[in-house]
Amino acid sequence: MDDSDEALMARVARGDEPAFRALARRHVPAMVALARRILGNGADAEDVAQEAMLRVWRHAPRWQPLAQFRTWLTRVVVNLCLDRKRRTPWVALEAAGEIVDPGASAGEKAEADERERLLAAAIEELPARQRSAIVLTYTEGMSNAQVAEVLGTSVSAVETLLVRGKQNLRRALGDVLDEDS
Amino acid sequence: MNNEQFETLLKGALKREPSQADAEAAARVLKRLAGPLPRQKMSLRQLPGILLKWDFAPSWPRMAALACCAAAGFMVGIAGLDRPFDQLDAPFMSASRDFGSIFEAEPFGGARQ
Repeated sequence: MDDSDEALMARVARGDEPAFRALARRHVPAMVALARRILGNGADAEDVAQEAMLRVWRHAPRWQPLAQFRTWLTRVVVNLCLDRKRRTPWVALEAAGEIVDPGASAGEKAEADERERLLAAAIEELPARQRSAIVLTYTEGMSNAQVAEVLGTSVSAVETLLVRGKQNLRRALGDVLDEDS
Repeated sequence: MNNEQFETLLKGALKREPSQADAEAAARVLKRLAGPLPRQKMSLRQLPGILLKWDFAPSWPRMAALACCAAAGFMVGIAGLDRPFDQLDAPFMSASRDFGSIFEAEPFGGARQ
């Protein structure tokens, strides 16, 4: 039996619940991780992944295989994350209290961990679309064209988002990056 | 730090490594999805198929009930509800005199002077 995403979706469109659960088992872990990267919040990421899969179930009869299922599902998750970010009040990085003084760490491993922690914190500070573009590119390994399809924009707009995102990250991590060079 | 080193840093920090927390979160989501699912939204493209697959076989008890109702209605319509059952075989007289008063022309009250 063909168990590709598209074949499973065709069965889901006919109300096949086991096919839907197979699809969920296949994609929910990646969608939870993606949502957590974009939202920076595990509980919200679970809600987003659940809502995305329920949308898959509800809208399955209307789904047309114009794009890959994975791309469509990623788009649903990213849009839900962006909606949620719009509704969530802004929390300043200082208020989050998760940054540790870089000088306190010792050893290369600790320095690398600290740098990545600072980078993650800086990514959380980025505007939502810049953050989505960076996460989709570096976490999901998507091409600019795929990111453009997910974000519903053009390839040149994605390139602009990536350039500005990286500029903002460099600015936010200025001292840390200067120490390394 | 040059651009290449910065790219490497980004890739290293953002590479996806499924953590235990992610696995537990996914398990919780899958558990929530195991419950009853909501109703699916119907597509208009499926409407012709639904109509073509419709089962038009009659329900015989309902057909019998409909036939009984039709027979009872026919009997009531033939016999009339205003006549007792023991006089059903009596000849039916129409009140023709009443109709006459309706269609009878009124007499002239008098000639114009």
